[in-house]
Amino acid sequence: MFTQPIISLLSLLALATLLFSCGDEKNVDPTEDNERITTISLQFINKADPKDAVVLTLDNIGADGTQPTSSSTSGSLKPYAAYSMAVVLGDRSKNPAEDVTAKIKAEANEHLFVYTPSSGLNLGITLSDLDTNPAPGPYPVGLTANASTGPPSTGKLNVVLRHQPGTKNGKATPGTSDLDVNFDVVVR
Amino acid sequence: MRFVLVFAYTLLMAGLPTYAQLAPNCTATLSGQIGQSLPNRMALPGATVYIDGLKRGTLTDANGFFRIDNLCPGTYTVEYRFVGFTTFSETIRLPLDSIRTITLQSDAVNLPGLEIHEHRSEARQLLQNQAELSGVALDQTRGQSLGESLKNIVGLYSIQTGPSISKPVIHGLYSNRILVLNNGIRQEDQQWGSEHAPQIDQFVASRLTVIKGAASIRYGSDAIGGVILVEPKAMPSVPGVHGDLNAVGATNGRMGAVSGYVEGASSTDNAFRGLSWRVQGTLKQAGYARAPGYFLENTSFRERNFSADLHYDKKQWGVEVFFSQFNNRLGLFRGAQVGSLTDLYAAIARPEPLVQPDFSYALARPYQDINHHLLKGRTYYRSETFGELTLTVATQTNVREEYDMLSFARVETPELYLKLNTQTADLIWEHPTRRDQFGGVWSGSVGVNALTQGNVRRFLFLIPNFRANALGGFVIERYARNRWVFEGGLRYDVRTLRAFFLNEQTNQVFSRAHQWDNANGSLGISYQLRPDLTLTTNLSTAWRAPNASDLYANGLHQSAVAFERGNPNLRPEQAFNGNLALAYAGKQLTMELGVYNNLIQNYIYLKPDSVPTIRQRGAFPAYSYDQVRALFRGLDATISYKLTNALTFTSKTSLLWASDQTNRDYLVLVPPNRTDNSLRYEFSTKTVRVSGLYVQVSALAVARQNRVPAVSREIRDGVPIFRGDFAPPPPGYALLGAEAGLNLQLGKRALSLIVTGSNLLNTAYRDYLNRFRYFADEPGRNISVKLKTNF
Repeated sequence: MFTQPIISLLSLLALATLLFSCGDEKNVDPTEDNERITTISLQFINKADPKDAVVLTLDNIGADGTQPTSSSTSGSLKPYAAYSMAVVLGDRSKNPAEDVTAKIKAEANEHLFVYTPSSGLNLGITLSDLDTNPAPGPYPVGLTANASTGPPSTGKLNVVLRHQPGTKNGKATPGTSDLDVNFDVVVR
Repeated sequence: MRFVLVFAYTLLMAGLPTYAQLAPNCTATLSGQIGQSLPNRMALPGATVYIDGLKRGTLTDANGFFRIDNLCPGTYTVEYRFVGFTTFSETIRLPLDSIRTITLQSDAVNLPGLEIHEHRSEARQLLQNQAELSGVALDQTRGQSLGESLKNIVGLYSIQTGPSISKPVIHGLYSNRILVLNNGIRQEDQQWGSEHAPQIDQFVASRLTVIKGAASIRYGSDAIGGVILVEPKAMPSVPGVHGDLNAVGATNGRMGAVSGYVEGASSTDNAFRGLSWRVQGTLKQAGYARAPGYFLENTSFRERNFSADLHYDKKQWGVEVFFSQFNNRLGLFRGAQVGSLTDLYAAIARPEPLVQPDFSYALARPYQDINHHLLKGRTYYRSETFGELTLTVATQTNVREEYDMLSFARVETPELYLKLNTQTADLIWEHPTRRDQFGGVWSGSVGVNALTQGNVRRFLFLIPNFRANALGGFVIERYARNRWVFEGGLRYDVRTLRAFFLNEQTNQVFSRAHQWDNANGSLGISYQLRPDLTLTTNLSTAWRAPNASDLYANGLHQSAVAFERGNPNLRPEQAFNGNLALAYAGKQLTMELGVYNNLIQNYIYLKPDSVPTIRQRGAFPAYSYDQVRALFRGLDATISYKLTNALTFTSKTSLLWASDQTNRDYLVLVPPNRTDNSLRYEFSTKTVRVSGLYVQVSALAVARQNRVPAVSREIRDGVPIFRGDFAPPPPGYALLGAEAGLNLQLGKRALSLIVTGSNLLNTAYRDYLNRFRYFADEPGRNISVKLKTNF
């Protein structure tokens, strides 16, 4: 009388153990972010002298988003000059590395780059590209821009990539930030 | 062949009673008398006698006598009901059992809306502060999530994440401090997350019982706040195939739900005697909820659930296999998706969300996709001399995928993936009740609970992979004599946890291990001051070991706008809980008053760091897990007064004070005081077609939560710093509701119809316990229609 239910239950337990084998937890998956940006470069080309090219790069932006303490630069911007600027974003944590710039370009209608020089840095940036948002658009995107320098100075250039799905209106306020980093900029 | 014939006959008898009534041999009679057990079996005039299968009934006369004529021979389930008494139902065979003498037991409280009983059956006989939702009161909440429907019980609240996620709170405690037992099995569904609602189909429940206060002894560690028992309907015993169909429609969110079951039991005189089965399923869908003035983008949800139950019950033993599957996709309000603290403050400053789309059933990122499977087996053996021995084993798998809003990646994979596998086994022996020489009765049980669970994560890191094991044993003994009931319990638990991490530089897996053990006890006393007045008190301790999230969480929490850091040095929480309840059940007035005091040492909570964490996307408020001495004390009151025979006033009030005694401060997310008052009119008119007609109006008032940590914010070095909370608590609010219901007899089909209107004045308000309160108002007016029919 006792045995019948016990046997049926034990067989059920055995079946369950077989079906749901344990031990998976010891194989730990690496952290994987669908939307990482590890690298951002600002490429400046002097409009008067195409050989005067300056590239500011922030690399190894941490998996947790921590920003590297210093940026690598290939020279400094000349004073009183006009540059055309392009931004390049990449994810080198993936193999092969991902071109994030192209993805932003594809989603240009909901993205906006906001460039803010720190006070004292004589650098002006005007966005030079447009998205295809319907009226009252189109609005600037900021993948390319015109940069003009003033007297020699140093400071930080804050770059924020805003994601504004359905709310883009040409202003920085709506939406959320995908990236918020600072470059060290020298004009001399 | 004989089986088939008997089956067909039973089907005919049970399913086609109206046709059978026309047959010439329908001359049987059911008659008898109904009385009450105390004092001296006084007759009960006006009690209801109701034959379930036939939908026929009558009332007793001045001397408690009743008579129903023109019944066909057959098997029937008869219910005997009287307000203030426990409903008694029995299965009879006509013409054999045609004369009945029925004694009804007085009930502690028997309100038409909320039904609170003193329990003396199974696990619910525990001498603890309990409340339940069943019958009509539960039917009124059909279509709502489990967390929402439980709010009808005093002392229960819910923490919401938008309109689709509702997490139960008992006396101010939630998450892992509440145990949810789904059909007797401890539900393990990553309940540590404040936006993780219980993964249980509300339609499965035929009764929701809540034990308020520490109830660790019987149900295992962690139950510092209480236990929620989700119990399905009892299996059928009457042969034949029957079923139930529920349909719910609601205007807000244009929600639709259908749920039904088919069940059957084999005939009592064949080889399959004792076999019963049930198959149940639910489909539910809703689109964008509407706050007064605008739709809440992406607050849609979809739910598909299925369960099957098979029982084989003999006289002394039985076996049961139960399987359930819960599939849920929940959209999160898009307006609450902010990238950083700066964006958060910008969003809080907006009186209304920026995006106000038209209605849609669309469900896009961000959303949660959750599957929960449960397979349970149970067996028992019982006899007069041995008592009852029950073995229950279960395995459950919870797969949670959280999809964040994407900016530029076009991928199908989630940002967070967690798979939790849990196996549990419980062996419990209830010894036979023994009567001693003083007339007292001893009852009690001993048991062992074992649990092992493994967690596997993928994609972003929030909590680690881990393996947890738990083993516990308990003994509970109860002694009842005259007007006194005493109950004492002891429990001992051991718990281990090993968390696994990957060093991404060396690709090596390393682990961290913990072990805790703890002994706890409880003592309960109940005294019947008068037949209609009972005083119950309970003192108990309970503990909770820190879980993997408390210890090792590290990451940005979706929708929480928070960077959470675990603390590997946390110690277990220890609760000291006291309850006192007074229940009065008079002719006009029924009342239940309860006070509680819950002191928790090492209470684990998320402490805001003063300096935010800077990440790729900006500054985020950072929290780390910390421990304080916390005190939760409060009062639950349910009062029901019969103004006339038809008109009843019911008031449900929950008051709660909570504080952090270590820092002499308040705690966040403590439910504000609330009171729900209603007037209900029940029409006595009964026709062949219409019965049980009622109308009800109700007003819910929720106070502003003023006992919160001081809220402040400043900009330091260009970085916003906040204290306490992101914004002060919203003002209090009052909502008007109304409801009407009736039972209809359409041919041979019985139909129950309930129409409910909530927030009828379309009041714009925000609730302190909604984690999206910073961004949008709560949903506005909602009219829902609930239909139920059986076959």
